[in-house]
Amino acid sequence: MNNPSAAIATEVSKIYGHGDGEVRALDNVSVQFEKGRFTAIMGPSGSGKSTLMHCMAGLDALTMGSVSIGGVELADLSDKLLTNLRREQVGFIFQSFNLIPTLNAMENIVLPLSLGGKKGDAAWIDRVVDTIGLRNRLDHRPSELSGGQQQRVAVARALASQPAIIFADEPTGNLDSKTGNEVLTFMRKAVTDLGQTIVMVTHDAVAASFADRIVFLKDGKIAGEMTEPTPERVLDYLKHLGE
Amino acid sequence: MFRLSLKMTLARKGRLFLTSLAIILGTGFLSGTFIFSDTINQTFNRLFTDVFKDVDAYVRSSQFIEVQFGEQRSTASMAAYETVMAVPGVKDVAPDIQAFARIVGKDGKPLGADQGPPTFGGIASQSVAGLWTIEQGKLPVGPSEMAMDKATAESGNFVLGDRVNVNAQSGSRAFTLVGIASYGDVSSPGGATFALFDQPTASEFLLKPDTVDAFLIQGDGSKSDEELVAAINAALDPALKLETLTRAAITKETTDQIGVVLGFLTTFLTVFSLIALGIGCFVIYNVFSITIAQRLRENALFRAIGATRKQVTSAMLVESLIIGVIGSFLGFLSGIGLSKGLSELLNAAGLDIPTKGLSIQPRTVIITMVVGTIVTVLSAIFPSIRAGRVPPLAALRDTALENVGSNKKRFTIGITMLALGVIASVASAIGAPALYLGFGIVLVFAGVLVCGPGVAKPVALALGKPIERFRGVTGSMARQNAARNPKRTARTAAPVLIGVALVTAFTAFATSAKHEIRDTIGSSFRGDFAVSAPSTGFGGLSTSLSDQLGTLPEVAQATGIGFASVNIDGQGKFVQVINPATASGLINFTMVEGSQSELSNTGMLVSTGRAAANNWKVGSTVNVGLVDGASKQITIEGIYEPSGFDVSYVLSRDFFTETTTRLFDNIIYIKTKSGVSEDAARIAISSQTQDKGLGKLQSRSEYIDAQSGQVNQILGLIYGLLFLSIIIAIVGIIITLLLSVFERKREIGLLRAIGMTKSQVRATVRWESAITSMLGAVVGVVLGVGMGLVLIAVLADTGVSAFSLPVNETIVILVLSFIVGVVAAVYPAWKATKVNIMMSITTS
Repeated sequence: MNNPSAAIATEVSKIYGHGDGEVRALDNVSVQFEKGRFTAIMGPSGSGKSTLMHCMAGLDALTMGSVSIGGVELADLSDKLLTNLRREQVGFIFQSFNLIPTLNAMENIVLPLSLGGKKGDAAWIDRVVDTIGLRNRLDHRPSELSGGQQQRVAVARALASQPAIIFADEPTGNLDSKTGNEVLTFMRKAVTDLGQTIVMVTHDAVAASFADRIVFLKDGKIAGEMTEPTPERVLDYLKHLGE
Repeated sequence: MFRLSLKMTLARKGRLFLTSLAIILGTGFLSGTFIFSDTINQTFNRLFTDVFKDVDAYVRSSQFIEVQFGEQRSTASMAAYETVMAVPGVKDVAPDIQAFARIVGKDGKPLGADQGPPTFGGIASQSVAGLWTIEQGKLPVGPSEMAMDKATAESGNFVLGDRVNVNAQSGSRAFTLVGIASYGDVSSPGGATFALFDQPTASEFLLKPDTVDAFLIQGDGSKSDEELVAAINAALDPALKLETLTRAAITKETTDQIGVVLGFLTTFLTVFSLIALGIGCFVIYNVFSITIAQRLRENALFRAIGATRKQVTSAMLVESLIIGVIGSFLGFLSGIGLSKGLSELLNAAGLDIPTKGLSIQPRTVIITMVVGTIVTVLSAIFPSIRAGRVPPLAALRDTALENVGSNKKRFTIGITMLALGVIASVASAIGAPALYLGFGIVLVFAGVLVCGPGVAKPVALALGKPIERFRGVTGSMARQNAARNPKRTARTAAPVLIGVALVTAFTAFATSAKHEIRDTIGSSFRGDFAVSAPSTGFGGLSTSLSDQLGTLPEVAQATGIGFASVNIDGQGKFVQVINPATASGLINFTMVEGSQSELSNTGMLVSTGRAAANNWKVGSTVNVGLVDGASKQITIEGIYEPSGFDVSYVLSRDFFTETTTRLFDNIIYIKTKSGVSEDAARIAISSQTQDKGLGKLQSRSEYIDAQSGQVNQILGLIYGLLFLSIIIAIVGIIITLLLSVFERKREIGLLRAIGMTKSQVRATVRWESAITSMLGAVVGVVLGVGMGLVLIAVLADTGVSAFSLPVNETIVILVLSFIVGVVAAVYPAWKATKVNIMMSITTS
């Protein structure tokens, strides 16, 4: 808990519609994600967990409050600077459709670097490629890779630019439990061995148990926290949360 | 099912709009052409009805010669004037002349465009039956007064009292402007210029004394037009060889004649609009292919819940029918605007075609709607059948990409067509009928288009290589995007391909023709200077001018060359008229037999081809009929080998003295005396010619350049074609890119999320577009050069034989295609940056 923060949300609200149709997806949420830690965000459907992630990643605009990544206030940034920040400071892993179908695995991994016209740290990328264990499939297109392999490539892409923070949105949602566990193991390794920072949205207790810390959301508000989770404790907590 | 289709069609406004756009493009030109030509016809109908409103009968010569481009009619003798005046029922008679006369502007340059509408001379008379009404001043009287039409007076800045130089058949003369007139209710019909005189002056200056072209007759109302015509015909002296027409007959004939002239324009425009429609077909077909592919899952869902293949296919077809009807109707409407644009364009080009109101015939609506709808439904057939074949399971799968069918089968068919096409073209090049060439070219095009998807991928990847090197990752992605769906890329590039191929072929042909003209004129014309007539086809230089130039102290020799229409053994022919006394050494025929300098006024030279065909030998006699009905027996005095663009018959100009045939020189070739500097010769000759508005004086090299440059006018039309196909190609590329952007929303969203800037998104779309357009251009150039080669081989016997590659033009075409790609990408690229990142990454 004494690590500095990679991303901070301060009194963040996100409101859709107005008047009677008003929906508060996020209601005055303040949260910090420490560097070098693996944090999970959990909560029932409609709790605002994905919205929180999108807002923190600079993909969605806030109604109120502020978000900073690596000390940079997002609200001050133009679209171009925000895009540059995502490219350099943020990594993404989505539930599905993570890769560009016309590029091979290696090209996909270095895509954020290439977009910035950079080569990146070759030794680092080499290490990442070793970690995901797909060295012999690097020249294959996404359509020639299995779902699990595709997600591993996505993890590698998120790591490639050594971002300040990686956001993962249900990264194992489309995978069976075995492949899902593989991908989660890599994410865990990325934090433990490579010192990266990951924030993962999930509704799966097993997936969440890979994290160091879990933030629970309900009705757009922080409902609680848990450190050193196990699947049993998480399920238990969720049961309480539902009541 | 129909109502469902209708509902689904209307539900997707964007798609409906894009598909309609393709149809509008195809049918708009068709509708525009119809409306434009109907409007012109209607305007002229009204004009001539108005012009002849006071004319009840029309007397003219019954003698004429029918040649390729219409007829040439003889003149009428003024001797008939009193006879006609005396016929009971005739109130007034106005003699009329429409002959060549060119007004020289205040700057010494002749008025009217050299290739534009004709320049006339005529009669302005008091008579109510006369065609002209004086608006300002008075009628011209006597040999030194003239009037002119209002439009010419305005454009030439002439005011009453000005001295005006006019050139006509009998030479050039100065007149005092005493009147400004209008024709019907237009100031100048069709952009022509008119110099008007009293009858004796007009006859003597423009034709021959005491002759006119016609008499316009007004009745006193006591007889019907038919009775009046019969009475006049009965009174006319048969020896004068005249005939009388009713107002209805002459109005119709005049209108029809204009119709023939305008017919060329209409045919030309129709060819353009059919090409537009053909190219538009590709765009329509492409749009249907893409939209139907994008709805694979929707259709699979239909199949899964129990729709039969047939139902899915017919639903798609019904949809295309609806879009076809809507699009064609919009195309018809846009044709109204286009027809306005066309007449503006022609006006800007100096062709003042009067159009009043709009003539929209039921035929225009019907043809446009029927053709547009049929073309749309036909274009939708294959994609619709494919839609029906979608397996119900596809609804559950996550692939929405168009599957690319087996390339092998496609290649076999395509290569076979290509091979057959090449064989047919080559066959026609070495002597088979021209029809083979038509089939050959169509087959080659079809073959290339069938092979297209197979060729598209490697070519697009190769073309994208430099862009990838240059632009890094965005270039690389653009390159891959252009190659990812070869079928689509090939179809999108097709309009560019067709346009570029046609233009390249004609450019290659024209370049070769230019070289040929250069060589031919270079070898047959041996003079130092040439004076060419300001207006080709109608009128020219007085034949006395060449004799006059021959007497200049700086000039060694000057000879005039003209053309005339005569009947040779009963058939109307175009003959070249030379002056044998002065021609030798300036224009040399390659004589096989006989001598050109000994051509007498009762002799004729013929080409070897004509001689062989008619079994003529030197000494054979031939009957030559003249425009006034007279005929003369002449002898073949020589046979020559025609080179380049020679005419097949040559007569001496002395043959025509004492006849009423209108004879002008089109060109005068001049040789200067040795020791006279070019500048001195130019000044001396110019003082007699160009300075008086008579012809254009050019040195040998200037003349050869100008002659070969005439080909550029044809090229101008071809570039019009290029412009048309560019517009369609741009719209086609825009539509495809928009659909692709729509299809790749998630991909673009993902790219934006992981750090692609908006300008990088735009670059990706832009380079993909440029690659697609260049693909069409490169294949089109290859095809076009091939077609040009064949065309030249086929037309070898008409004078063009050497092939010259149009290097500069080809580079321009390629650069232009690149620009087309970049321009077409502007809107889709902008649209791509508007993709909502959140929407595209959260929908799963």
